[in-house]
Amino acid sequence: MKSSRLLFPALLALVVSVVPAHAGAELNLFGWSEYVPQSVLDGFTKETGIKVNFETYASNEELLSKLVAGGGSYDLVQPSDYAAEVMIRQKLLAPLDPALLPNLKNLAPEFRHRAHDPAGAYTVPYMSGTVGIVVNTEKVKIPVKGYGDVFSAAFKDRIVVLNDTREIVTWALYTLHRPINTITPECLAAARPVVAEWVKLVKVFDSDSPKTALLNGDVDIGIVWSGEAAILWKENKKFQYVIPAEGAHQFIDVLAIPANAKNREAAHKFIDYILRPEVSVLISEAFPYTNPNLAARKLLSPAQLANPASYPPGSPKLETFRDIGKAAADIDRLVTDLKSAR
Amino acid sequence: MTPATDRRTPRWRARLLLAPMVAWLVLFVVAPTAILFVYSFCERDEVGRVVFSFTLENYRRVADPVYLRIFNRSIGYAGLTTLICIGVGYPVAYCIGRAREAWRQRLLLLVMVPFWTSFLIRTYAWITILKQEGLLNGLVHQFAPGAAPFELLYTPTAVVIGLVYAYLPFMILPIYGSVEKLDGALIEAAYDLGAGPLRVFSSVIIPLTLPGIAAGTLLVFVPAVGMFAITDLMGGARVPLIGNVIQNQFLQARDWPFGAALGAVFMGLFAVTYWLMLRLGAREEETAA
Amino acid sequence: MPATPTASPRWRFPSGIRLLDLSLTGWTALVMVFLYLPIVVLVAYSFNSSRLNIVWESFTFAWYQHVWENGPLLRAAQNSLVIACVSTVISVLLGTSGAWLLHRYRFRGARSLQTLVAVPMVMPEILMGISLLILFATAGRGLGFATVIIGHVTFSFPFVLVAVQARLKGLDPAMEEAALDLGATPLQAFTLVIVPCLRPAIVAGALMAFTLSWDELIVTFFTTSAASATLPIRVFGMAKVGLNPMLNALSAIFIVATAGFVVFSNYLKKLSR
Repeated sequence: MKSSRLLFPALLALVVSVVPAHAGAELNLFGWSEYVPQSVLDGFTKETGIKVNFETYASNEELLSKLVAGGGSYDLVQPSDYAAEVMIRQKLLAPLDPALLPNLKNLAPEFRHRAHDPAGAYTVPYMSGTVGIVVNTEKVKIPVKGYGDVFSAAFKDRIVVLNDTREIVTWALYTLHRPINTITPECLAAARPVVAEWVKLVKVFDSDSPKTALLNGDVDIGIVWSGEAAILWKENKKFQYVIPAEGAHQFIDVLAIPANAKNREAAHKFIDYILRPEVSVLISEAFPYTNPNLAARKLLSPAQLANPASYPPGSPKLETFRDIGKAAADIDRLVTDLKSAR
Repeated sequence: MTPATDRRTPRWRARLLLAPMVAWLVLFVVAPTAILFVYSFCERDEVGRVVFSFTLENYRRVADPVYLRIFNRSIGYAGLTTLICIGVGYPVAYCIGRAREAWRQRLLLLVMVPFWTSFLIRTYAWITILKQEGLLNGLVHQFAPGAAPFELLYTPTAVVIGLVYAYLPFMILPIYGSVEKLDGALIEAAYDLGAGPLRVFSSVIIPLTLPGIAAGTLLVFVPAVGMFAITDLMGGARVPLIGNVIQNQFLQARDWPFGAALGAVFMGLFAVTYWLMLRLGAREEETAA
Repeated sequence: MPATPTASPRWRFPSGIRLLDLSLTGWTALVMVFLYLPIVVLVAYSFNSSRLNIVWESFTFAWYQHVWENGPLLRAAQNSLVIACVSTVISVLLGTSGAWLLHRYRFRGARSLQTLVAVPMVMPEILMGISLLILFATAGRGLGFATVIIGHVTFSFPFVLVAVQARLKGLDPAMEEAALDLGATPLQAFTLVIVPCLRPAIVAGALMAFTLSWDELIVTFFTTSAASATLPIRVFGMAKVGLNPMLNALSAIFIVATAGFVVFSNYLKKLSR
């Protein structure tokens, strides 16, 4: 009981010290943890005097469910393309004012006006990436070109793939030469035997850090985010990134303003600040994704541009995900069923 | 005043003392659960919103044998974890409970401190130990250079190691609470009456610490049934567990009503089982008395 | 007690106890090794110069400096500490009083109440998180420290209650009666006689409540605002960009700080005597 006499004042002091001292304008940003470098946030605050409150999530799905359940009030969110599409359809986003975003001109045209936001009215691309194959070339000597080469009996229990039901079904649909964004019961029935074979071959399903199993040497080949592949390549050149010949999923992480945002002006300022080449290049330096900002790309080093996971050579077939509505539940049911049959 | 009658019925003051807990449970357990229960009879629309229209479809889907299989597997992992935790944790709790008084709380803290690190970092440390080219295999290689490396990581064994590690303190701590109040005189009396250590253990110590074991079982088994983060990271997420399935309905599939129905059945099953066990326990006590 | 067996017919028993004691201590030491094995690895990797938490490169102190310079991370750690402490205190109050009242009195619905207490332990975190968020949003309550603490108390106080209840079973009813006979009020009897007797279980319950709160992710995610975001939220969010040894360094600091606290608190106790 004696210690509690000390404990309570100590707790009180702690609580008081975390209550924020109220300053001027604030911007509530809801984004991926660390995905916006601290230096960028500090630079913005220094220039505009606007304090950035950065709240974080770990997946698009977390972001969506928190917003749908009515949580939080944010001025700026950072979803991927398909999540932004859901938000547009649920009327959760506010249209942007292009007049406040003069730096939009820096963006490469192929990243704007994509299917999730055809008019480019709601979203501004932040960074982009793909889902492709990583091969440990020290262990795998045969050429690997597509999904079919990865899921072969030769690599049984030597494969890591993303732990994402939609991704796996998409790869199966690609090998069947079917569209990836119109999910019908008929095409799921066609994909079923393919996925059933595949899940038996996989050693690890991991969406958060698939590079771990590759680096540890527990697997030799994988289908992973390009950002993970770029980190692997930087670590050791034996990890080669291949965009599957059948076609690959491209994701575009965007910035958007929620419909109930309190400080839209600050949000626009922040978006435009990010679009500056000298700011955007800081993000590229921190994270090896594909930068949609052409003006910023000119400032990148040749080594950065040579990373095949960030800037894949050639002109591969890339598609973004569309929101597939209720079919998401069917896909989840299918993969759950096949995985639990093991 | 006879204490025996006073023991049975709470007077208004006792009811008042009970009020904060009841209020807390009603506000933050019953009310949210009721919301989910309502959701479980709803439908999702095309964009993933919950539409309030009565349907039993979600419960029909829960009856799918796939989910039963997944549920059984979750129970299996949790049961095995609980048994191992009792076997591994009981002697530790006993040892701490019989240690010198000045040491007890420090030892207790020592059991808990590893879990004041971040879950992810701790689990990655386990991966470093168990992986094919990891510390454990390195050690094996030192002593038996010819032996084939263990394949531990991403197997059910790794999952059980991870689960036992995570839940062990929740077995040790409640058992400690029971061991600590063991009356040394009783044990000595048993020895004096000629019982051997094993006999003393099985007929005196175990029965006296049974409430601690029961509490530990509850605190380990129940949360372990719904656990999936450890299984995903250390087992390679190759087989889904009930926790995965429920979480996926809310996140990946965005089918909240179905997730709510799964959750309602899961929690309902638990509540009924637990209630029946309490009743059974009370009956036994009555007959014993 | 002499270790050498004597001619007495009872020589077996002391040596049996001794053997039991020794093997118990040995086993406990082994379990401690098991518990601390990953912690040793974790601390070792906090000195690893590689950004990846996987391959050993070379020795560095740089990550400790990075932690020191990372304001948001430190802030999150501070938030975690505040939330864990406050929710532990509330959990102990609710759990201990609840356990006592459920033990002391028999009333209609007691069994249902007991079942209701156990429900948060089985409730999947995602269900608790989303349903609490819907509740708070419907009630028009803004998210922040209060909502996170409410969530944490809800899933951690049952652990305190169950641990304390286990200790109460078989408690000698004469203790309270004696206190009442000596003229204590029921409240005095509880705080002066029962609580001290329950202390080991309360300490165990508090430790569990603190640990659960400190490391919780999903309920926190749905009930937090930017200002009250905890360490696990930061850590799991880093998955997109990769974990780095900064987190190992932070964990190591926390372990050392705890150890320091234990040593220091003993020192304080000695001084006050």
